[in-house]
Amino acid sequence: MNHNLLGDVNALKPRGMQSTIMIAFSVISISIMLILGVVLYLRFSAVSRQEMIDSSQKLMEQTGENLEDYLMGMRQISDAVYYNVVKERDFDSQDAQILQGMNLLYEANKNSLRSIAIYNNYGSLMAAEPVALQKEDPNVTRQDWFKQAVGKMENMHFSTPHIQNLFEDDARRYHWVISLSRVVELTDKGVPMSGVLLVDMDYSSISRMMNQINTSNNGQYYYLCDGNGQIIYHMRQVQISKGIAHENSEAAAKWKDGVYDEFFEGEHRKIIVNTISYTGWKLVGVIPYSAFTHGMFNIRYFIVMLMLFMGMMLAVVNRLVSLRISRPILKLNQSVTEYEAGEKPEIYIGGSLEITHLGYSIQRSYEQIDTLMRKIVLEQNERRKSELDALQSQINPHFLYNALDSIIWMVEGERNDDAVFMISELAKLFRISLSKGRTVISVKDELQHAKSYMNIQKIRYKNAFTITFDVEPEIYSCCIVKLVLQPILENAINYGVDAMDDCGEIVVEGKKVDGNIILSVKDNGVGMSKEEVSLLLKDSNRVKKHGSGVGLVNVNNRIRIFFGEEYGLIVESEPDEGTKVSILIPAVPYTEENSRVLEKGHLFGGEIKEEHEEQ
Amino acid sequence: MKNSKKLFIQVEVVLGLTILVLAVLMLREKSREDLCKVSVILRDSDDSQWSAFRYGLKMAAEDTGVSVFVVSTGNFLNLEEEMEYVNQEIDKGADAVIMQPLPGTEGEELLKRAEKKVPLMFVEHGLSLKGETDSIPVTKPDNYAMGKALGEELLKDYSGNISGKRVGILGDIDEMEATRSRREGLLEVLNGTDATICWSAFGSFEKNQENSLEKQPTVDIIISLDDSSLKMAGECGRANNLHGALVYGIGNSTESAYYLDIGIVRCLVVPDEFSVGYESLREVAQKIGHWYCDMKDQVVSYHIIRREDLFSKENQDILFTMSQ
Repeated sequence: MNHNLLGDVNALKPRGMQSTIMIAFSVISISIMLILGVVLYLRFSAVSRQEMIDSSQKLMEQTGENLEDYLMGMRQISDAVYYNVVKERDFDSQDAQILQGMNLLYEANKNSLRSIAIYNNYGSLMAAEPVALQKEDPNVTRQDWFKQAVGKMENMHFSTPHIQNLFEDDARRYHWVISLSRVVELTDKGVPMSGVLLVDMDYSSISRMMNQINTSNNGQYYYLCDGNGQIIYHMRQVQISKGIAHENSEAAAKWKDGVYDEFFEGEHRKIIVNTISYTGWKLVGVIPYSAFTHGMFNIRYFIVMLMLFMGMMLAVVNRLVSLRISRPILKLNQSVTEYEAGEKPEIYIGGSLEITHLGYSIQRSYEQIDTLMRKIVLEQNERRKSELDALQSQINPHFLYNALDSIIWMVEGERNDDAVFMISELAKLFRISLSKGRTVISVKDELQHAKSYMNIQKIRYKNAFTITFDVEPEIYSCCIVKLVLQPILENAINYGVDAMDDCGEIVVEGKKVDGNIILSVKDNGVGMSKEEVSLLLKDSNRVKKHGSGVGLVNVNNRIRIFFGEEYGLIVESEPDEGTKVSILIPAVPYTEENSRVLEKGHLFGGEIKEEHEEQ
Repeated sequence: MKNSKKLFIQVEVVLGLTILVLAVLMLREKSREDLCKVSVILRDSDDSQWSAFRYGLKMAAEDTGVSVFVVSTGNFLNLEEEMEYVNQEIDKGADAVIMQPLPGTEGEELLKRAEKKVPLMFVEHGLSLKGETDSIPVTKPDNYAMGKALGEELLKDYSGNISGKRVGILGDIDEMEATRSRREGLLEVLNGTDATICWSAFGSFEKNQENSLEKQPTVDIIISLDDSSLKMAGECGRANNLHGALVYGIGNSTESAYYLDIGIVRCLVVPDEFSVGYESLREVAQKIGHWYCDMKDQVVSYHIIRREDLFSKENQDILFTMSQ
């Protein structure tokens, strides 16, 4: 399992230099981009959160001031009614002045006022503005605002919103009001008594103020509650009263002004609390954490898209950069690979200074290797040629001894003409053997050499065999390695016709077949078995029975060295029928140039081949 | 080299496709932000009896983020007329329709067709004729229980003995499921007593003057089964035309509460119309864009209010919704 995993990981490893650079660049740049993106996003979120909280606080402060101004206005109305209109006046004798004063105040503030009313301590209506028919039995003393005023006589009391249950409304409407009530001193028919002054504020004024700040659609909202957590205004007031929604107003009412974190009904929220003076009411701002990210979903999409787009661009840029860096090295590598494959391209030299230097170094190394290779081949050729020369030189002493022995025998027998013929043939033989030190000679010279050799041998063997030359003249002017026919003829004499009494026949044939020259020496001697034929050109260490010792193996080797592996000797033989040894060489015209090239050995034969093709 | 190029092209293609997918998602998200529109079709939609219902709609619209349009209608009488409004609203691009179904058979076919186009929700009551439109959900108060509660409150006032009392019953269109259920609930209680039901008057009283309350024989108790008839009874009582008859009724307007407040109505059963509006829209809003969601029938509560506790904290909240 681990092995497989490791294998998979290894398979993923980049192998190319360009891939490595590109992947490394991409990983680094994308990591930096991601880290930067996340850090910027977090920073931006924190700043945006703080800004949202700050702006909410400012908005709440502003609204709080507006509410305080409004409530202060109500208090001032209450004070004005009490101190300027009611106090020191008798309801019995000065009721018109009281009503006029109340009317003036009401008219001046009727946009935010529902009514002003004064009740005595039994709950009987003393005066009211606007003038309206009181309900049959409103039971004033049992209403909360009355009880609160009487309960703490020294204070002004703001109630929570409620339906005004005092006057009849012809429109059959019910008005929501917030009551400001206080105990006042009244005089009726000269009798001082206590009563309750009620200023009913229109709830819609407060709800309008609150509605103005509750316009956000991101889940953020503001509500107003009293010191006990009783909701005065909440945009989901009815839902809360029905239990559909909930609000943690009781907890908020206990907090001092400030910003708090809260976890309510599975949601983290920021709570901002601002206390309204005179009333103890709390203006509470609620920012659910979801509000911080509201509307950011599209921004997130956009950021992700932007990052992906940047990733695409980075991939392109990284590829271009990695290509720029790796191209010279890849080109150098390509040229070296081609060189190793046997081609001979120019080693790439280019790119940065280091790579140029590397290219130069490799080029120099290859040039040196080439030079050394040529030198080694030349030395090898020279060595082999020396070996062959040494082999060739083995002919001379043995043959010379026999020939001279025959000449002596002729001179002693006073066969002077024969001796002269013999000596002149010997001279021709050696002249061609020397050939000014050349190894490659013309076929004509080689044939001449063979004829001279055979003439000498015929005298020595007292014409015990016949020799016939049947060679096409067109091959006379072709190249051949010198002294290749002589060992074959020597073998034909020694192994073929020597044992035959005056009926030995040796035929030398020469012809051109398919651009090649075939020179064959055929005898009618004893022949050989197939096994012997197969060993003839392989076993160079065989014990020679006769001759100079220069075997067919050497002749074969020499031909192959000079003309190539595909050329050499072909031996055909049948026991008691004779042997035919053929020399197969290419038909290369004998010129100075070809001769010089062939002298160097077949490894440089490409040049000849071309000339051959031209021919 | 070739592998590297292949990898590069693959990475670019994958990134490009991802960007395309995100762009499509972003555009879809943006189009989803456009508010869904829900049209509401009620008979006599500007009448004060719908105040609490409309306030419920408004609150639900704020909570769910849909846009509500209450079609201004007259006092149309049957389903065929109503379907014209429904088709108009669908043609104007409403994503859903909330409607108070009126009795009628010819409109049912249209209703089935309309239901295939947009989600439909009945409010107040279902169709009186049960048919293939049963699949349309209804948000309503328990009409039968309200009628029954009204009868029980009446019996309470008379300590369970109303023998010999003459009773008149007023109500909306008789074929309406709400009227029928309320009446059945009421009759279940009254049938066990010796009270005499002298008359029952249903329908639109304004159009059919012969049906008016003044022309009905004098009774001891008048029971109104809907807000309109209760208001009419209250008005008659205020004009002293009830000849001492006591009024019990089902109502959901400030006028009905007013008649309770001034003593003309002895007991008022108030359906929670805020919840009808709120719950119906919330259910519809959940359905819009979520074809796999099924809308369910909703039954909302009702309140029994007496004059003496009209201004209790709980009842003030009811009055608050009716005053909007």
